[in-house]
Amino acid sequence: MVYKLDNLSVNYADHVALHNINCTITAGKWISIIGPTGAGKSTFVKVLKGLIPTVKGDYWIDQQPAPRDAKGQLKVVPELGFVFQYPEHQLFETTVQKELSFALNLQGASRQQITEAIERILPQVGLSESILPLNPFQLSGGEKRRVAIAAVLMTNPKLLILDEPTAGLDPASQVSLLKLLKTWQQQNQSTILFVSHQMEDVVEYSDEVLVFHKGQLEGHFDPRTLFMEKEELLVELGLSMPEPVQLLKLVEELSGQKIEVASCKEQDIFDAVQPIWHSRGRLHG
Amino acid sequence: MLFSQFGIRGGVYMADSVIVGQYVETHSIFHRLDPRTKLVSIVILMLSFLMLGTWLSYAVATVFVFGILLLSKVPIHFFWRGLRPLLFVLLFTLLYNAVFTKGTILWSWSFIEVTEEGLRTGLRFVWRIILLILLASVLTLTTKPLDLAYGLEKLLAPLSKMGIPVEQFSLMIVIAIRFIPTIKEELDRILLAQKARGYDLTALSLPKRIFAYVPIIIPLLFTTIQRAEQLSYAIDARAYGNGKGRTSYRVLLFQKMDYLAGGIALLFAVILLWLKIGKV
Amino acid sequence: MLTFDQVHFYYKKGQPVLEDISFTIEAGEFVAIVGANGSGKSTIAKLIDGLLLPRKGSVQFKGLDTTNPADLADIHQQIGFIFQNPEDQFITTTVMDEVLFGLENIRVPREEMRSRLEDALQAVHMEDYLDAMPHQLSGGQKQRVAIAAILAMRPQVIIFDEATSMLDPQGRQQVLAIMQELHRQGLTIIQITHHMEEVLSAERLLLLHQGRLEYDGAPLAFFETMPVADYQLQLPFAVRVHALLHSEVPPTADWKGIIRSQWSTN
Repeated sequence: MVYKLDNLSVNYADHVALHNINCTITAGKWISIIGPTGAGKSTFVKVLKGLIPTVKGDYWIDQQPAPRDAKGQLKVVPELGFVFQYPEHQLFETTVQKELSFALNLQGASRQQITEAIERILPQVGLSESILPLNPFQLSGGEKRRVAIAAVLMTNPKLLILDEPTAGLDPASQVSLLKLLKTWQQQNQSTILFVSHQMEDVVEYSDEVLVFHKGQLEGHFDPRTLFMEKEELLVELGLSMPEPVQLLKLVEELSGQKIEVASCKEQDIFDAVQPIWHSRGRLHG
Repeated sequence: MLFSQFGIRGGVYMADSVIVGQYVETHSIFHRLDPRTKLVSIVILMLSFLMLGTWLSYAVATVFVFGILLLSKVPIHFFWRGLRPLLFVLLFTLLYNAVFTKGTILWSWSFIEVTEEGLRTGLRFVWRIILLILLASVLTLTTKPLDLAYGLEKLLAPLSKMGIPVEQFSLMIVIAIRFIPTIKEELDRILLAQKARGYDLTALSLPKRIFAYVPIIIPLLFTTIQRAEQLSYAIDARAYGNGKGRTSYRVLLFQKMDYLAGGIALLFAVILLWLKIGKV
Repeated sequence: MLTFDQVHFYYKKGQPVLEDISFTIEAGEFVAIVGANGSGKSTIAKLIDGLLLPRKGSVQFKGLDTTNPADLADIHQQIGFIFQNPEDQFITTTVMDEVLFGLENIRVPREEMRSRLEDALQAVHMEDYLDAMPHQLSGGQKQRVAIAAILAMRPQVIIFDEATSMLDPQGRQQVLAIMQELHRQGLTIIQITHHMEEVLSAERLLLLHQGRLEYDGAPLAFFETMPVADYQLQLPFAVRVHALLHSEVPPTADWKGIIRSQWSTN
């Protein structure tokens, strides 16, 4: 599935949320979306999902115009999954089973299809079948979060939008959730759009990064180019460089030499920096 | 469909035009009046409406109320926004009275009979409600919510000495006003989230529509209750105690124009009473 | 100054949330309380301020006891509490009223209110926002107003209960900076958090695990000796770098400074 925005703008009465966005989302990648608060990241992903009816410009899905209603308003795009921030706030059913079945029921799926989907999804979010008869409101925060995400994954979306999915979780839960999502993405060959403020997560999981600022798309980069070469852009936007990259830059500065790294991920940077550090006496001469 | 106009869309729409918390600064006389004066005067005026009977009395009341609207210097569309959500109810009331009151039949169609007396009763009833709403709007448009709550608290102070938690009621009003925009935002978020899951309220057939709000109301209730719990901890932590004995930054002092305004309200009540007694 | 003596707590009988918690905090300390979600750390915060009462044991603050209703007003004034959700602790309709709310509660005389209001808002750089309403403010701004509302009451201790969890990085930095500044000015700071980088600047760390206190001491020693992952926590980056480089100097939040100074020596 290819999603393409052509000169797309979203104008509200008092401000412009998105201005002339030109962007193509290709299948199968983890794409992170970063930018300062108010840059338009939320609006962007909502447009893709069809939650913003009035837009100027064009939205193409697989070279077909995105479906619109009789008044020309964009319609909700069913095959995209959307996980809002604090998704557990939308839970309402009396059992986890019913909550998970909600979306598929609306689509008219059969019981059989729903059961199969549940069996497939539960392990992918690290939950066991024993959770099915429980009342979602009585689960722990982390479990509620996974149930809410699982409910979205039930429709087997080819593109999954995640708006700060780890907000409010403790560090270990954050890591395990992101790993689960990465595994799901790779197994399903789906695309993930990951809106986040945490640059360390962005650098660790992304294949591509979209940078937004004041309603405009500043750039569509691969993480390496963005974090190693576009420091001024990050500073201008008030975004921080991930700490591993800061370490790399510091050691490059002190040693006076460019250091080759396999990627911007922490482990690769650590592996590259360690030998340089330990031979630093000899470098300085 | 009327139901959809008055269901959740109406609810969200109502939150936008909710009369309370809609303070508009126009530096009018009313903005400078003590909130207690306004509260007491409004009550006097509203009670005096009970004496409305003849067309003359309605005319006097209408001129008076519109005079107040003009003096408030608040643009008319704010008052219209307060009335708009209730148009349906008002229309229904008018028709109900018109059809179900016995008397001289003006127009009929099968078993529906519109009577002259019915129309008259309906119009008067509806007109009274409109005037009441306009008066209430003047109150909330010209008085800051906290001033209103504080004025109410001061008026009810004698009750406080009897052990009634007047201060806590006042705080409840402030909190309700404070959280209206927040809860509305939460409602919008939930509507959007369920829409993203494929839940389109407007597409459902009528019998299903009744249960349609469950995926909206349940989460809203739950998060609101959680909020209330957190808020009560915050209020405790800020040393509120039982609310008694608090000092106050705001000082309410009656001035000449307060006595004048109160006097005019009383005068109006007397005029209506005189009209009623004289059956003019 | 603040003493927990064998405190037990549960919401529902048979499901203990805290068991046999004992510790003392002295004036001027900067204490971090860490633990996974559900470890009981937020409950401890509420017990400190008398928002919850111990089922067994006692919580005492400068001779005041939280179970004594007559003491609670003093306790609430002397111990300030900043909650996690900026939205749900903003009680009134404007910034000015929010700061005045606490002053009215503790019966500050009217003449003193204005200057306390102004000083408190200046301390958090929100003095231009007197008439702002909560829905016009960002999360970080709301948290700063909450801090001002507490500061105006002139507490001796401020508890920050995961106060940065719901903020964007900019908001977090602002709140953390204010926290450091307040500590410098002599306030006792108790920070409940699971962001381990924030812990490095604390002087003391209390670890909660399934309702029990499992560590009470210096943060650095904690990272060196305790299996952090077992507690659902992560080592801060500075500590990971420290381990990588086998630095002799103990890790602090300023890992860059350490690297620079250590570069020339070998």
